[in-house]
Amino acid sequence: MTDVAWQKTSTYKEKTKNGSRERWKFIIGGALLIAAIAYLIIAGTSSGARYFITVAEIVNNPEYVGETVRISGAVIGETIEYDTENLVIEFTIVNIPQEFENLAVALHEAVESPDAPRVKIRIENEVMPDLLQHEAQAILTGELGENGVFNATELLLKCPSRMEENGVPVEENPHGA
Amino acid sequence: MLAEIGYFALIFALGTAIYAIVASVYGEYRHRESLVLSGRNAALLNFVFVTIATLALQIALMTEQYQIKYVWSVTNPQMPEFFRFTSLWGSQAGSLLFWSFLMSLFSAGAIVLNWKSHRRLMPYAIAYMMAVLVFFIGISLVYENPFERWWVMPESAGGEVIAAVLAPAGATAPLASRLADSANGLNPLLRHFGMAIHPPMLYLGFVGFVIPFAFAMSALASGELSTNWIKASRRWALVAWLFLSLGLLLGGRWAYDVLGWGGYWGWDPVENAAFLPWLIGTAFLHSVMIQEKRGMLKVWNMFLIIGTFSAVIFGTFATRSGLVESVHSFARSEIGFPMFFFWFFVTIISVALILHRRGQGLLEDEHKFNNIFSREAMFVVNNMIFVALFIAVFWGSFGAPIISELVFDTNITLGADYFNTVTPPLFLIMYILMGVAPLSAWGITSLSRLGKAMVIPLGLTALTLVLFVIGGMGSPLVLLGYGIVILAGWVAIYETYRGVRARTRAHGENPLTALWKISLRNPRRYGGYMIHLGVTVIGIGVIGSTLFQLETQKSLAVGESIQIGGYEMVYDRFDGGQISQDERIMDIANVSVWRDGQQLATLRPRRDFFPGTEGMNTMTIAGAHSTVENDFYVLLVDWEELNQNRATFKIYINPLINLVWWGGLILILGTIIATLPKEIMNKETRRRLRQS
Repeated sequence: MTDVAWQKTSTYKEKTKNGSRERWKFIIGGALLIAAIAYLIIAGTSSGARYFITVAEIVNNPEYVGETVRISGAVIGETIEYDTENLVIEFTIVNIPQEFENLAVALHEAVESPDAPRVKIRIENEVMPDLLQHEAQAILTGELGENGVFNATELLLKCPSRMEENGVPVEENPHGA
Repeated sequence: MLAEIGYFALIFALGTAIYAIVASVYGEYRHRESLVLSGRNAALLNFVFVTIATLALQIALMTEQYQIKYVWSVTNPQMPEFFRFTSLWGSQAGSLLFWSFLMSLFSAGAIVLNWKSHRRLMPYAIAYMMAVLVFFIGISLVYENPFERWWVMPESAGGEVIAAVLAPAGATAPLASRLADSANGLNPLLRHFGMAIHPPMLYLGFVGFVIPFAFAMSALASGELSTNWIKASRRWALVAWLFLSLGLLLGGRWAYDVLGWGGYWGWDPVENAAFLPWLIGTAFLHSVMIQEKRGMLKVWNMFLIIGTFSAVIFGTFATRSGLVESVHSFARSEIGFPMFFFWFFVTIISVALILHRRGQGLLEDEHKFNNIFSREAMFVVNNMIFVALFIAVFWGSFGAPIISELVFDTNITLGADYFNTVTPPLFLIMYILMGVAPLSAWGITSLSRLGKAMVIPLGLTALTLVLFVIGGMGSPLVLLGYGIVILAGWVAIYETYRGVRARTRAHGENPLTALWKISLRNPRRYGGYMIHLGVTVIGIGVIGSTLFQLETQKSLAVGESIQIGGYEMVYDRFDGGQISQDERIMDIANVSVWRDGQQLATLRPRRDFFPGTEGMNTMTIAGAHSTVENDFYVLLVDWEELNQNRATFKIYINPLINLVWWGGLILILGTIIATLPKEIMNKETRRRLRQS
């Protein structure tokens, strides 16, 4: 009981003694810190933001030439060329529609359709990734040059399994086709 | 048979968990002891049932029951036993069941260990833990059932092959041999020791943080808002943090060994999803100390633990289902919305409880902040930095893409640029705090006293930097960065040294005994210093390997060589088409690494090919020669198919990279010390007291 009473008076004293001045220090210090963090995140966002667009958009809109953007498309296997002397990879990707049910199916359909928009990709100083193969999804950061070739600086690849998310395998039937 | 056992065990597990919630809450509310006890026993029984279900799936995997869809999709007859075992968490359905298993294991542990000491907190804590289990077991039963089997429908019904738990009318089981032939096998990328144990470590970390969350919410629900809930859950939080750290380190090591890009951390959304609970959990571990010591920040701590819990739920789904890239894939994923509603529901209840207790005046701080250099003020800044990192990482990987899609209907992503701009300043402030905060005192510290305490660590840091300059490092900015990081380490060492010195003087013990004794007496303090030291060592490694990495590539004929960073590498021989035990085909280049005319190592960078695996079926494995100074890391890029006389290599020199792993080891050791039970010491003290 005495303990509690003692604590109360001490808090009270603390408050009256150096209350408001220290309090302001905390408020100003905290506000400055929050402002600095907010600035950092906003500045980082504006410099790091990349529009994520489709192959169709970049091919049909000349204003994207020279802009750093991210694009995504389906890789055509037979177009992959790898210059191992200079580590330059070149290949062509095809537009994938924005809305689809199953990524693997969308990639397959994109590669099969002859009139879908496509763009040639060039990427330098890169080791040939294991995942770069026919019907992989390539996500690239870079810019479209005047010559219509997309010079990529960053390459991400995805190879979705043909298994549907749930239910039956699309192509591989366990019973044997 | 195994499928039925597992399925029904899971149903019973769901039933016992629901019963445990009702009995615990109602029993506590009505003060009916027998009901509360019954709820506790139901919660323990839940552990038994979940274990049976998990064992059933594990046995099915080991004994190759390909009629079970999960077994069929993650294993095949060629896989070695070890990976058959680890494929329990190889895909979503299995890993969700495994998650439930770990969660019920931790719940049972918390019930058994804390029942007597924290009796008042237990009923509501059990209710919260079981609620989490009800949700996860429910997901397993309804959406991601690992016990589904393949069935062939009769010709009249189309003759299709479908997956179902119980046999549909008229369906027959497919032929076992056919199933074995078409079975998928584990994704080759995951066939690595680090990847095999990395998910369980992360999951242990994830579920571990649910326990402190349950205790915190139980404190709010029962109104028992002393520091008891912190005492009950402190060790659980540390254990969770230990496993989460271990999981992140192993993940980094796996990326470095297997992914073949010479790095260990790429700010990938999945990595970030696992990093988020770590960041906010670290804030919580620090902040909760202020509440224990000074009775402050009570509301804030509650929000931090809710944040940790949210990050855990988010991380579990994000790391497994890939539903985080866009709102569309979230909406498409079947478990996306149930997960969101569960999280929303639990968070709403928790926030309502906080507001309720705050309204009653039960969450008022016992002290005020009265000095900007006091330790509690520094802890608050520490919290702000960790939360800022949390927000920055979340925003960069998930927030910005989702908001841009929902609000502006454009798709904006933030790449590595963003993280490399935003996080380094925040990490540096974190290191500054690590260098200053341990020296400041609780309550009131004067600036001059703080300054005096810093003289020696600052001197040691200056000395270290002089060595760096002599070693050839010129850039003032890099030196500043190193100085900040190293100061944190020297402070940790110096403070530990002071503790040891005081003890050797007082008791005449030798320094090692003294170190052991003070660590036992105050495990959290000295374990904490060791963790700080580990983080310093990691920081030195990260700066070195990021800023001073060298790379080159060249195509070489046999006998030719390439030079980089003082090393020379000679291409000696090619071993093509080697077949390993698990039937992968390996193409291996033999190279030797030389320095100053001396051969240091022979390395075998290689490319593995997995025949018969669909999708991703090759894997580039680097060869590395590790020293304290750096890693010589070489990848086999390509070779001439015909005579293999020529091959192309890419080489990275990664300076100081091994400090990342060694620092990680120090951090893990420190965490183990911090988790040590104080009871060992207490026993001795008690005995001495009795004697006197």
